[in-house]
Parts: sequence; structure tokens; C-alpha cells
Amino acid sequence: MSDSTPHGFHSTGADGPAIGQDEWVARHADVRFLPARFAVVERRLRVVSWWAWLTLFVGLFCLFPIVETSGYVRQVAFQTVLYMLLALGLNVVVGWGGLLDLGYVAFYGIGAYAYALLDSPHYGIHLPTIVSVPVIVLIGALAGLVLGLPSWRLTGDYLAIVTLFFLQLFQTVTTNWQNVTGGPFGILNIDAFGLPGGHKLKTEHGGVFAVSYLYVALAIFVVVFVALRLLNNSRTGRAWRSLREDPLAAEAMGMPVNWLKLLAFSCGAAVAALTGTLNAALFGNVFPLNFYFITLITIYTMVILGGSGNQAGVVLGALIISPLLELLRDADKSRVLFFVALFGGLAILGRRNRRIAMVAGATLVFGFVLHAIARAIDGGWVAGQPGAGGFATFVDHWVIAPQQPARWIAPVAYIGVIVAALLCSVLRGIVRDIALVPTIYLGAFVWENVMLSKPDPARYIVLGLILIVLMVLRPNGLLGERRVEIV
Amino acid sequence: MDLLELNDVSLSFGGLKVVDGLDLHVKEGEIVSVIGPNGAGKTTLFNLITGIYRPHNGDIHFDGQSIVGLEPHQICCRGISRTFQTLRLFLNMSVKENVMAACYGHTKAGIFRSMLRTPGMRREERAIEELARKRLSFFGQRLMGYRWDQPAYSLSYANRRRLEIARATATNPRLLLLDEPAAGMNPSETHEITELIGQLRTEGGYTILVIEHDMHVVEGISDRVVALDHGIKIAEGSFEQVATNEKVVEAYLGLNSMSSK
Amino acid sequence: MDQFIQLTVDGLTLGSVYALIALGYTLVYGVLKLLNFAHGDVFMVGTFVGFGVLQVLGGPANPKVPIWLVITLVTLAAMAVCAALGVAIERFAYRPLRDAPRIAPLISALGVSFFLANSMQLLFGATPRNYDLFQYHTGTLYLRGLHIGGVTVPLLRIITIVAAFILMVILWFLVNKTRTGKAMRATSFDREAAAMMGIDIDRVIVFTFILGSALAGAAGVMFSLRVPTNVSIGFIAGLKGFIAAVIGGIGSIPGAMAGGLILGFLESYIQGYVHGAHIPDGTQWSDLYVFSVLIALMLFRHQGLFGRPDIRKV
Repeated sequence: MSDSTPHGFHSTGADGPAIGQDEWVARHADVRFLPARFAVVERRLRVVSWWAWLTLFVGLFCLFPIVETSGYVRQVAFQTVLYMLLALGLNVVVGWGGLLDLGYVAFYGIGAYAYALLDSPHYGIHLPTIVSVPVIVLIGALAGLVLGLPSWRLTGDYLAIVTLFFLQLFQTVTTNWQNVTGGPFGILNIDAFGLPGGHKLKTEHGGVFAVSYLYVALAIFVVVFVALRLLNNSRTGRAWRSLREDPLAAEAMGMPVNWLKLLAFSCGAAVAALTGTLNAALFGNVFPLNFYFITLITIYTMVILGGSGNQAGVVLGALIISPLLELLRDADKSRVLFFVALFGGLAILGRRNRRIAMVAGATLVFGFVLHAIARAIDGGWVAGQPGAGGFATFVDHWVIAPQQPARWIAPVAYIGVIVAALLCSVLRGIVRDIALVPTIYLGAFVWENVMLSKPDPARYIVLGLILIVLMVLRPNGLLGERRVEIV
Repeated sequence: MDLLELNDVSLSFGGLKVVDGLDLHVKEGEIVSVIGPNGAGKTTLFNLITGIYRPHNGDIHFDGQSIVGLEPHQICCRGISRTFQTLRLFLNMSVKENVMAACYGHTKAGIFRSMLRTPGMRREERAIEELARKRLSFFGQRLMGYRWDQPAYSLSYANRRRLEIARATATNPRLLLLDEPAAGMNPSETHEITELIGQLRTEGGYTILVIEHDMHVVEGISDRVVALDHGIKIAEGSFEQVATNEKVVEAYLGLNSMSSK
Repeated sequence: MDQFIQLTVDGLTLGSVYALIALGYTLVYGVLKLLNFAHGDVFMVGTFVGFGVLQVLGGPANPKVPIWLVITLVTLAAMAVCAALGVAIERFAYRPLRDAPRIAPLISALGVSFFLANSMQLLFGATPRNYDLFQYHTGTLYLRGLHIGGVTVPLLRIITIVAAFILMVILWFLVNKTRTGKAMRATSFDREAAAMMGIDIDRVIVFTFILGSALAGAAGVMFSLRVPTNVSIGFIAGLKGFIAAVIGGIGSIPGAMAGGLILGFLESYIQGYVHGAHIPDGTQWSDLYVFSVLIALMLFRHQGLFGRPDIRKV
């Protein structure tokens, strides 16, 4: 068999693993995303090569502006591509190199600020885009090398904190060095990307987002994705992953670990800086707070959700999180999203588990009953109107919404739902099922009465929750494979 | 000339002398075993040779040149490779990738050539894939076939040991340091390892320095045996000479059992 | 000279707050080898709990109970709530990840930190909360005090410093003289071996989180007796506490105390003397110096002043 081509587990055939193969093969042949009756479909899908998927994905994305004409939605799509790029860059450092880089967003900022300084009236410098962007990518890569230096001596937590300090340094400098960075007021009127003929690539067209930037960003995304993909599948990529697995063994096997760490930091930083130029060129302004902790956590959530180490995964993570954050901005959409997610999730879980289905039904009944009682006692308790139309009507008859809630209600309900949810996670059996009903209802109450009116902290609370829940339940994310550390 | 030469090498942690004034010479093509009770400084000796620790005193020459002060990866590229007593595979990488990763030192493609997939880079990739196949098929079918694409953590213990050896040889070393290759193996696997180490010399042409506790293995493979205790070389010579050496017996069995004989 | 005394007193107050935060980091790191990113936000919650209890007791100007009881109750309430919060965080965000790769609890901790900060913003908004120190007992606590040279050291400052030291002595006693403390130290050396020797690891870890978080709560109250608090101080306070812990050598209890004081003095003197006159907000830049010092320290002596370098085991 030594002369036959090596083959992966996908080709083990529909009959399942052959006798004599290891347990691992058996288990992996069993891992499915689709239900069992689509097994054939899934197997076919799995042998489709990555570039076919990429072409399909980018093709659909290109068609998107044709279908969707809203300037706002197109801009969200553009932002999502930026996040996809950022996630790809972070994936190099965290997913492949295994280095926890909390200063990553600073490179995004460095790229944006560098572009702002090189192409804006701020200093009156207007470098051609064809010059400034490569220069900035180089600056980003060099900055990455510098931040990578501490990784020679520090690992794990210490490295994380030093990189976090770097982010804080960047923040302090951009906020306080007003002569150069404009301080908290940022730099305005930054040039759009220039075309070779001296024209500028318009950022808006008739007052709405100009779709050309979406295509520029997509083109850059394709280049970065393919370049990193090929890099991962080369000696450098293998060395990065060896470094992640066991730095000492990697060093002893002839890999210059220190240099590889720098290289990982540098590659990630270059991608982030490149994305920064896109950001600055489109929005025309940069502010220090655009490149801070919130952005950092957002990108981390994307990478972790999709599956750190898996390129398609982190792109998927960005595709989910970025629109999600936009939807949560708006109270009406946020409401629909919550109830669809809640009852959709219960319905999916309920199909396999009848007790969950009963919990869902009981919650519905519980809501209507409670609402009726509350209305009977005092009409003011249900007078907070969620607006009109399909979903709102349902919510209006189901969730108690006081018109003028007392000040203590929000904290009590919010803390109450957290405590109740935590309790439910430790309870078992019928007690848990009973406890779940009021907990879910309380959750809906909190969402309707506390979270909807303050989208900003609410969105970030959702991000934080996603991070915690993912780490506890599925640290490998959606597409990543579960990693083994010590066996 | 000797391939590896240690002259008066010492290392201490705090006040504890782990290796003390050690001289060791290994000729090209030799198989030398290092024995000694636990804590005698055997693994430390390997760490000194591979550059993980730096000796406080003394000199280490490989192929006539001093390698003291070089980084471990530089020493590896000079032609010294090793396995670890507590296995240190890249667990979440496939068997193939484990071996191919170790080819880093003797391949050249930089990041831009890798991104562009230049013909030279592709040729190199094909070459190391072929090399990986050759190194793995040294162990027969055990690491070939479907296992080739499996992650290393799915392997059995004995196969992990084999993979470590395959990975070590993929760096194209001249000197191979094996740290307890038979530890945790059953008698038939131990027997197989004994033969295999012989084959590594005859077929691979490696010079081998091996730490081993199993005296059957040591007897079966060694041209020469070096015994350490408390970081000091207490005996050196053929297996018979060392095995009957009083100091060695004392180090292993303790003084009392000597006097009771 | 007066300025020097003033700055020294400031540094001592600030330093004892930092020391209390640093102790929380050090305790948790010692036992779990986990950098508890959420610690700064536990501290922030402490400042708010203190504020809430202060209002319940009738506010600083017209308290329903004697002023000494107000301060004690406020501190104890903050300590209790923070301890409960710490236990909850450990139980639900860290314990499931105890055997996961090192990076997993770190990311979970980031999530907790983000979650706490934004939850507090959701519930209480971004407005600063002021403990109104001039109001206490018609100002006596703030205006009266010890006279050193031309400087009056307010009574409140003295109370803060003394309270911090009392807490540290209690902690020292708990860790060094009690059975649980002994179990804690054993666990920090080798968790598995300690478990095999019959130590209930879960209990020890919960105890550690109670201690660390309670200290953070106390630190929160002391911090707010100096300057107003808001929901976003957790991040910076956490960073500073961590710096203090690293200066002293993370994992070392006397180290954390010393590190906190050193950092307090350093920051106070930098703010006082190195004033970057051309920069409008000089105090912001002092953070920059502090962070630079820390990065240098981490690079050249990351075991800190009191820690021991670890030997790389192969």
C-alpha cells in the first residue's frame, strides 16, 4: 500500500470505516454537519476544493449589491469584508501561531492613521494610493515585528498583557498627541483611494455608499485569503503550527522559533494595516476609539466563533457577527432577532428533545397568562408599546412592558435573569425544565424592557456572552476541529 | 576524527551540579549508549548537546566546530537531531505534517515564494513529501496508508515513539540522539526497536547516541556504553565491561547490596 | 518639600489600593496560573456597590448611622458582593475550562470582563458616581487630619491606608496560619499532587476567589473615596493592578503589596514632577510612562522583584 497515494478519511466510503482502522477514523467519519439522510450530499460537499468554495462565495458576494440597493446595507457589507480581513489576519497570529495578541487592533489603527497622515489635508501630503498603501503595509509589518519582540522572552499570559499594553500605548498616544493625531477629534477629510489617472475612487454616489469600495475590499480579501492559504500550506505554515503545538520541539527540529513568532506577528499586522487603509479611505476620518478594546473583542469573537485556525471558519465568524452587531443597533430588528433566535432555537432543540419542546410551549402559555394577570391588576404594567406590526403585536400580548418602569426594575430583572440562567445550568431533570420557563420569560422581559433601549452596551453584552459560552461549550468554534493538548 | 566531542562540560542549577566535568567522544558511525540511574544527568546531557541548556564550563564540538552558544535550531541544522523522553509530537498536526515540518531547516522557500507557489517552491514541496514518505515507510506500514493523514494524537503510544524517530531523521541529521526509545514499550516492540536502531545505522548512516534503561536493548545495540551518576562519568567501555564495573553496579543497586554479595 | 509630602501621601493611598487589587491577581495566578482579566471589572462593581449602599444609608451628608459605621458597612457590602461575584465567575466561566488549553480561560476571562463592564453600563449608564468626600461628617473627615510640614493629611486618607494594611495583615494570616491557607499554598505548587494528597481543590480555588474578589471590593471603596468612579475604570484599574502584581513578582503575596506601593509612588511622583508642560493633559501621559516601565520590567525581569525565575523543564 506504500505505493498507493495517501488518502484522507473522507474517502473511507459510505460503508463506514473499515475494520482495523483506529477509533479516530471511525469518529471522524461520523462527524456530520448535516442530518444523516444528507450524508451523501455532505460527503460530496467535503471533497469540493477550497478555491471552488471561495469562488462561489466571492461570486455571490459580488452579486449582492445588485440585489440589495440600500446604501446602508451595502456599507454594512463593506464593513463585514473589513472584518473578514481582520479576522484572517488575527487568525495567523492566534490560530496558527498560537500567540495571544491583544494588541492586534493597534495595527489596524496604525494602518488607518498612517493613511490619514499620508493622504489628507492634515499635513497636506497626498501620496498616490499606489505608493501609500504598500508603504503602509510595510509600516504595519515592521510594527508587527517590533511588537513581536517581547514574544522572544514571554509566552501565554505575559505576552497577552504586554500586547494589551501596546494597545493602551497606541490609544494614549493617539488621544494625547494632538499635534500629530488630532487627539480625540481625530483626522478628517482623508482622501479616497486614487486611481492611476488621477481620479479619486468616489466614496459615495449620490449621497449613498459607493459600491466600488465593496469590490475593492473583496478583491483585497481574495488576494489575502489565497496568499495566506498558500502560506499556511507551506513550510512556514507548518512551522507556525508546530510552534503552536510545542515551541521547544519545534526549535529542536530546526525551526527558528523566535523568527517564526515575529513573522506571525508581522503577517497579522500587515493584513490589519492594509485593512486600516481601506477603513480610512472609505470613511474619510479616523478617531482613536475606533481602534480600541471593543473592536478587539469583536474580532476575537469572530475568530473564536468561526473556529480559530480555520480560515473558512473565521470568515464565517465575521459574516455572522458583523451583521448581527448591525441588527442589534435597531430596536425593531433587535426584537425580531431575539424572538426568532429564542423560539427558533427552542424549536430546533425541541425536535430532538421532547422536554425542550414542552418547555417552549409552557413558556408561551406562561407568558400569555402572566400578561393577562398583569393587565387585569394594572393596565400600566403592559402599556409600554413595542410599536406596531406582526412581531410587535405578539410581543405586545406576551411580554409585560411597564410604561414607566420603576428604577429598580432594570437592575433587579437583569441580575435576576443572569442568576436564574446560571442556576438552570447547574440544575438537572424536571426541576431544571420547570425553572427554565420563568427564566426564559424573564430573559424576554429583560430584552424588551432593559436591553432594547440601550443598543450599545446591549450589543457588547451579547458579544461577551458569545465568547464565554463558546469557550465553555465549544472552544473549537463552528468549523474548527477540537484540539488535543495533552493525551 | 570524532564526530561529537564533549570536553570537561559542566552545568549546575543553583548549587546542584547536574553535569560535572564530563568528557564524551562519539566517532562517526558509532552507536553509544548512555546509562545511569534516574537523575544522573542523561537527559540534561542531551539538552546540553542540542543547545537547550548552555554549559557553564567546557566545550562541545560537532564535526570539528564548537557548537556552544548556538541556538537549538542552528545546532539541528548542523546535523544533530533528537527525540524526547516525554514525547513531544505536534499532536494536532497530521503524521505527514509532523515529518514535513521537521524539514524546515533544509528547505528554503520564503513566504513570498510560498504565496506565489513558484516552480522551485513546488519542487521543494514534492521533494520533502517524498522524503517524509521515505522516512515513515522505514517503519513498514505502521505510519503509512490512512495514518499518513491522521493527527498525531490518534496514534498509539508505540507509534508515537516511531513517529518521533521519523521526525528526527527528517531533519537529515548526522548524529541522532534517542532519549529512551524503548520506554513504555512491550517486549516485542522493544525487540523491534533494538533491531531498528541497528538499521538506522546501516541503512540511514546515522551516528547514534542513545539513552536507555532496558539493558537488553543496550546490550543489543551498543558499540560502547557510558555510565553516568550524579553528572559524573563513572564508567565507559563495552557493555560487558560497564555492566560488571563495580561503580555502575553500586550506582544502580546501592552500596548495601554490594556488601551483601 | 510640601509637594513631596503631598505626593508621598497620595502615592501611599493610591499604592495601597493598587496593592489590594494586585493581591487578587496574585492569589488567583498563584493557585490557577490564570490571568484573571475580569478582576478589574470586579473592582469596578465594588465601587458601584459601595455607592449604592452609601445611598441606602442616607448619603454622605446626612447618614442614618454614625459615619464610622457607614464606611465599615459600605466596605463590607462591597467585599461581600464582590466575593459572590468572584465565586460565580470562577464557577461558570473558569471551572469548565480548567483542563482546557491555556489560551481558553484567558479568552473566557476577556469575555467576562467585557460582559461585566457593559452590563454595568447598561444598568447604571456612563455617568460618574461621586462618594462626595467633602460631605462626610460636615467635612471633618476630609479637612481635619495629621499635619506634616505645611501639609494636612486628611483623616480619610489615613483611614484608607490603615484599613488597607489591616486587610493585608488579615490576608497574610489567612494564607500563612490557617489550614485552608496551607492548602492554597500546596495547590499553587502542584495542583494534581495536592489533589492526590486529599486537598479539595475546588474548595481551595473558591476560597482563593473569595479572598481576591473581596479585596478588590475593598479596594473599590477606597479608590472611590479618592476620586469619582464610573463603569469604565475597570479596564485601567485592572491593568494597573496587574502591573503592580508583576512588579512584585506574580504569585508572591508580599511582592504584590510592595509592587502596589511602588506603582503608587511611581505614578504619584510622575504626575507631580514630570509634567510635560506642552501637553494639555499631563496625567494621561503618566500612564504611558508607567506602561513603558512595565514593558521594560516584563522583558528584562519578568519574574518581578520577589519572584524566582523558573527553570525550563524539558
